[in-house]
Amino acid sequence: MQDKKAHKFGMVIDLDKCTGCGSCTVSCMAENNIPFKEDESDKKDSITWMRVYKLTNGKSFPDTQTAYLPRPCQHCGGKGDHGHSPCVSVCPATATDYGYDTGIVSQIYTRCFGCRYCMVSCPYHARYFNWWDPVWPEGMEKYLSPNVSPRMRGVVEKCSFCYHRYQLAREQAYYNETDEIPEDAYQTACTTACPAGAIIFGDLNNPSHRVHQIVKPDPHPDPLNHDVVGKSRNPKVFRLLERLGTNPKVYYMSEKEWIRKVGDSYLDGEWDKMKNHHGSASHD
Amino acid sequence: MKVDRRSFLGLGLGAVAGIAISPVGAKLTDDSSIWTQNWPWTPVPPDGKITYGQSVCTLCPGTCGINVRKIDGRPVKIEGQDTYPVNNGGACLHGIAGLQYLYDPCRVKTPLKKNNGRFEPISWEEAITLVAGRLGKIRENQRPDSLACITDTNLGSVPGLFSHFMTAFGSPNHFTMQTLESWLTQTAQTLHGSGHTLGFDLDNADFILSFGAGIIEGWGSPVACFKANSGRMQRGAKFYQIEPRLSNTAATADKWIPIHPGTEADLAMAMCGILLQENLFDPEFAAGFRGGLNRFNAMVQQKYPVDQVAAITGISAADIKKTAIAFAKAKMPVAVPGKGRGDGAQSLKEFAAIHTLNCLTGNINKKGGTFVKPVPGYLAFPDPVQDAVARDGAAQEKLAGSAQELVTKIHQSDAPVVDTLFVYSANPCYSLNDPMQTRAAFEKIPFVVNFTSFMDETALASDVILPISTFLERFEDVPSKAGFAGLVVGLAQPVVDPVFDTRSPGDALIHLAKTLGGTMGDSFDWPDYKTCLKSLVPGIWNDLSKSGYAVVSQGPPAGRVRTDFAFLAENPSTIQPQGDADLTLVPIDDMRVASTAPASSPFAIKTVSDRVIKNRDMFVEINPKTANGLKDGGFVTVTTPAGSAKVRLNFNEGIMPGVIGMVKGLGHTFDNRYVAGKGVNVHELISPVIEPGSGLDAAFGVKASISKA
Amino acid sequence: MDAALIPEGAKRCSFPKFMLGIAIVGAVLLWGVYAMLLCWFKGLNQTNMNDYYGFALWIWADLAVIAVGGGAFFTGLLKYILKIDELKNIINFAVIIGFICYSSALLILAIDIGQPLRGWFIFWHANVHSMLTEVAFCLSLYFAVLTIEFIPNILENRQLNKVPFFHHLAHNMHGTMAIFAATGAFLSFFHQGSLGGVAGVLYGRPFAVREGLLIWPWTFFLFTWSAAAFGPCFTLLVTRITEAVTGKKLVKDNVVHLLAKISGWMICTYIIAKIIDTIYWATVTAPGLGFEMSHFYTNNSFYGYWILVTEVIICGVIPGILLINKTTRENHSLRLLAIILGVIGVCLNRWVMVLQVVAVPVMPFDTWALYIPSWQEVATTILPVAYGIILIAVTYRYLPVFPQERELNQSKAQES
Ligand SMILES: Nc1nc2c(c(=O)[nH]1)N[C@H]1C(S)=C(S)[C@@H](COP(=O)(O)OP(=O)(O)OC[C@H]3O[C@@H](n4cnc5c(=O)[nH]c(N)nc54)[C@H](O)[C@@H]3O)O[C@H]1N2
Ligand SMILES: Nc1nc2c(c(=O)[nH]1)N[C@H]1C(S)=C(S)[C@@H](COP(=O)(O)OP(=O)(O)OC[C@H]3O[C@@H](n4cnc5c(=O)[nH]c(N)nc54)[C@H](O)[C@@H]3O)O[C@H]1N2
Ligand code: SF4
Ligand code: SF4
Ligand code: SF4
Ligand code: SF4
Ligand code: SF4
Ligand SMILES: [Mo]
Repeated sequence: MQDKKAHKFGMVIDLDKCTGCGSCTVSCMAENNIPFKEDESDKKDSITWMRVYKLTNGKSFPDTQTAYLPRPCQHCGGKGDHGHSPCVSVCPATATDYGYDTGIVSQIYTRCFGCRYCMVSCPYHARYFNWWDPVWPEGMEKYLSPNVSPRMRGVVEKCSFCYHRYQLAREQAYYNETDEIPEDAYQTACTTACPAGAIIFGDLNNPSHRVHQIVKPDPHPDPLNHDVVGKSRNPKVFRLLERLGTNPKVYYMSEKEWIRKVGDSYLDGEWDKMKNHHGSASHD
Repeated sequence: MKVDRRSFLGLGLGAVAGIAISPVGAKLTDDSSIWTQNWPWTPVPPDGKITYGQSVCTLCPGTCGINVRKIDGRPVKIEGQDTYPVNNGGACLHGIAGLQYLYDPCRVKTPLKKNNGRFEPISWEEAITLVAGRLGKIRENQRPDSLACITDTNLGSVPGLFSHFMTAFGSPNHFTMQTLESWLTQTAQTLHGSGHTLGFDLDNADFILSFGAGIIEGWGSPVACFKANSGRMQRGAKFYQIEPRLSNTAATADKWIPIHPGTEADLAMAMCGILLQENLFDPEFAAGFRGGLNRFNAMVQQKYPVDQVAAITGISAADIKKTAIAFAKAKMPVAVPGKGRGDGAQSLKEFAAIHTLNCLTGNINKKGGTFVKPVPGYLAFPDPVQDAVARDGAAQEKLAGSAQELVTKIHQSDAPVVDTLFVYSANPCYSLNDPMQTRAAFEKIPFVVNFTSFMDETALASDVILPISTFLERFEDVPSKAGFAGLVVGLAQPVVDPVFDTRSPGDALIHLAKTLGGTMGDSFDWPDYKTCLKSLVPGIWNDLSKSGYAVVSQGPPAGRVRTDFAFLAENPSTIQPQGDADLTLVPIDDMRVASTAPASSPFAIKTVSDRVIKNRDMFVEINPKTANGLKDGGFVTVTTPAGSAKVRLNFNEGIMPGVIGMVKGLGHTFDNRYVAGKGVNVHELISPVIEPGSGLDAAFGVKASISKA
Repeated sequence: MDAALIPEGAKRCSFPKFMLGIAIVGAVLLWGVYAMLLCWFKGLNQTNMNDYYGFALWIWADLAVIAVGGGAFFTGLLKYILKIDELKNIINFAVIIGFICYSSALLILAIDIGQPLRGWFIFWHANVHSMLTEVAFCLSLYFAVLTIEFIPNILENRQLNKVPFFHHLAHNMHGTMAIFAATGAFLSFFHQGSLGGVAGVLYGRPFAVREGLLIWPWTFFLFTWSAAAFGPCFTLLVTRITEAVTGKKLVKDNVVHLLAKISGWMICTYIIAKIIDTIYWATVTAPGLGFEMSHFYTNNSFYGYWILVTEVIICGVIPGILLINKTTRENHSLRLLAIILGVIGVCLNRWVMVLQVVAVPVMPFDTWALYIPSWQEVATTILPVAYGIILIAVTYRYLPVFPQERELNQSKAQES
């Protein structure tokens, strides 16, 4: 199913550069017709496909440290990277699906009947339910983009890696009579917005793309955990909850060890043993 | 046929069975689901041809180039312009949410006149006639100086036209809001003579010593600073942040040095002392030092001994020394003043002391250094035509040194100080310290004319509102502002026809001047603002109209810089926070909250942490050590000499014990349910303190106490 | 008034008294219906669910009623397949309870989903990998089976039975019931199991995830097992409540003791499996993902170790022991205690496997999420309870649900 030409779009987010400004969140909301309510302070019902979490090292003044972690949908490849993402595998109506040609996990609003099983299955809280019908202040619906359909209440939505931008890039490529989609022809709205240049987006399968060069994904299953595929061979790069075997396509990068450690759970003493393990040695 | 019970039953059952196996059920089921997929109340955005429009964002002093995606002429998305020399792609959340301002629920849709406390719509013609009538009377009474004007800045042709108007009319009373630009210009003027301002080449510096400057909190040109911050990581340039709180800037810095708030000037003075004592200053640059270096040296050695300053600032003497020496020994060091966004109340002493560090290293007007550069002078305004009344009025003494001082004066005076006030692109009734006082002062001004796009706090306190097109609907030259190393002038251009009955502020002023006639009309002898703009920028109009921007200056300014130490040698006193309570309340600049005008967009508010605002309640940050048994998330009353507010506590290990912080830019009181009515305006808790040397408000914080609410 | 409809020889309260009871419960039912309509017309913003609690009170209620409704398939299995004939005296009631439970579950699902009018997409666009698809198919089919199992009992109503067609239909249906019971048991096995699978396959949720056999995680088998074990407890409990309300003995002690004994042994075997599963999960599965067991039971104000102890020991081991031991089993109060604990235990298990699963933070920088249901959720959850009470009242009044009722109450009358 995964032919040679298949893309595997992914992201690297440099957490040292990330300023926590929230521009990625807003760019995503503006790009994808995400509504807003009068009160958005309950973050558990506030739709933000791109949510920026605040991390702390847990130490007290003056040794405390903070950082920010932007979290789009991780476009999980699922155990063994076979396309059975936590959410895709559970959706009873196939309203969310894995694109084997892109690695993108889609969400079909008109198909979704709102059972929310996918939300329960997603450990990243990347999925949002439309508890309300979207309502824009009078006249403001004029700025809505036709590239992304506004959702009705009762359905789940999430980051699509700005799939419509891929479609436009693909159409352009077709028009140019090539199957190559150049790296800069398909960039997500959060990537282009980020004022710090902290987000890098591209095809993890394409060695000429920056994401591939930074991540150096290991194509072989992790010898310590066969569910994990595509582990980064860059010691500064990690994925969120990598040990669960969800195989996200969003990678994070930091010089700071405490930040890399916050990406996953470790038993006492385990981190020191695991932190130096980066992909299978045979492919370095 | 006789219909008995049995046949009736049979018929019924048959009908039910028939319907059940017919396609009717399936069809209805399918239809109903299709109906849910096309609910008429879910908007379906019309598709169309994609085009792009370019403009410049004016929502903050950042002046980023933007690219607007449009569908059949309808703007749908704002993004940063990749080729614009300020932001080079990327934009901040406020700029990206810019289209929300276009359709903001509290946009002023038509000119308004206040009648018995209520606004009623009037036509542009009526509005201009009304204002012109008032101004005519003022001139008849020979008191043109009783017209005052507050604009957000004095840079660019639109503030320039207000200035031109004031001079032609005969009033010296044009004030600007206190911004980073005001502080930098004052600093440059004080140390290097008038006509100068400061820029910082953060893109190339190898050691940035920031005295609280929120490089990634919105200081200067935010996107440019974000990029500089990312760039310096790649270059391996050092960044030290001196600040009472672990801001996002402090968190990304190589070193965070917590300091007691308000003692930054003392620290900078002590560091100057160390550089002078250790002979770590640049002798070549020192050749340009004028007046008072020796006096200054003697003074700092005597008044700012490191041990004493260590006690005052809370930073160890060893750390002060180490930091000063590391700074001085760097190849391209830059010391950056301006706490947070740099637009709040701070002090000239602080700015001057910090900039003196730059002067001592001699890294001035060099790549990777501090630029002492002329204030932007690309605009060629003709001399205004004045009659005798105007000449007399303009020669009067200016009423105050700053907008804050003006407001305080109006508030405290029994006699009317100002007859008519123009406000353009500013919201003093919200963003000056003690806005209650400001609103009371506005009550005392007989006639307030507000050139604004939004029905904000100041608009509500005005008598006539002239609705102004937003930056997406009009032309304007937009010069890069405070702290930016070079000078880039951009052209804001209409990417969409005005959505409401609004006008460009320039056109409104030209119309007003023409209606006044006489010398006013002569002074505004342009058919419209666009023609005016073209004539004002003859040197760069070609660039502006072709590429949307003109790079006026780039790289280090040429020429020798002279430095005068007279101001600091006098050892101006450090401003102390008012009050005598135990805690010090300081405003926090949060990139996600717009601090001045216009207020945040709904999208921006949506990104605000639930540790800043929850429901309508505001949080103050406090170190758990200071909380004295109060609970995280618990309600408390914060009391300062200026007032009190009920807030919730947000325990933060990243704020110095003894300091509490409150995010600036919330607690709006106008009519926008997405943005206003959330939290507390921190300015309500701080009274202004005018610094004698600058005339600006220097109340960076205030003493506060908290008690369980 | 309605004497003609009442089973022959059975004593029932007066019609007005009956209607008064129905009206009181009916008022509660209407409250639930009102809440249900609010949810349908205004949307799920009427609930306190949120993006962390995508599954909440309702899904718990759903799983709980299906678990306790498991008495129907298990008793059916025992009666028709294993030919334990005494159970014919309680099978009707077990089927009615099952019918109520399953129809309630379907109703709750129809309220729970965000787009009820698209609910059928689960069949039309079925994803064979989803446990919920398996649940939906088996649940609907089993509900159909329960309906078929229920019909003969309805046809035994005194008036309906006079119609020869209905009389013969009922008779013939009884004859074929073994086939339906077998089908039901098979379907039940899968849907009870796939409900367990719903949680167990969540490999993104270390609290829920379980290893297993083929495509089925251990929770698949544990759910089926626990439904078979505790379902009869619920049948017995509802029988006991009905007896208390009607003031009559309806089922003979030997039948009760037999079902209690089977239930007891099922509970004991189940709880051993559950304990092994918990230990394996706590010492192998979760630590393998980086989680100490304490992560799931500390740092929050509700989910402590108490919940594990209550579920497994107090409401698992104890009722199991009480029911396998003859003296305690045949002690009226201790048996009642055991079946109550058992019902609580299985409901608690379902709560844990739905609510605690989503409450536990997975990302290290996330926090526990607790929630309190809104009144609309509570009302719609009580709605099926009210509906169940009314259905039991009506069926008890008009149908010969308990074959031993006449005998038990006549002899009593004769003795006194
Ligand atoms: N029952 C019923 N079914 C229908 C219809 C109906 O009326 N009733 N209408 C039909 C019609 S006309 C339409 S247009 C469709 C609308 O259904 P969809 O085609 O799903 O269109 P949208 O609802 O706009 O959802 C678009 C989103 O789907 C995802 N997506 C789209 N294409 C792809 C893709 O190629 N790969 C991946 N991975 N993701 C993709 C993206 O995330 C995108 O944001 O539904 C069809 N099906
Ligand atoms: N809120 C919301 N709105 C949406 C969408 C969404 O996802 N959400 N999806 C959009 C999409 S992708 C689509 S395709 C549209 C679909 O929206 P429509 O294009 O409105 O499609 P239908 O609802 O199928 O309606 C088509 C009409 O044509 C009639 N018709 C059928 N056959 C014929 C024929 O042979 N000749 C003629 N003259 N008429 C015929 C039908 O009876 C019906 O009245 O909805 C769009 N609107
Ligand atoms: S826009 Fe960039 S810097 Fe800002 S929060 Fe997002 S990733 Fe971080
Ligand atoms: S992050 Fe969540 S929603 Fe996205 S693919 Fe993974 S499981 Fe699915
Ligand atoms: S909520 Fe929608 S997308 Fe999610 S599992 Fe259910 S039907 Fe699928
Ligand atoms: S990739 Fe697109 S949809 Fe996803 S978070 Fe970024 S902007 Fe939003
Ligand atoms: S930084 Fe300022 S100028 Fe730039 S996009 Fe943001 S608000 Fe606009
Ligand atoms: Mo369509």
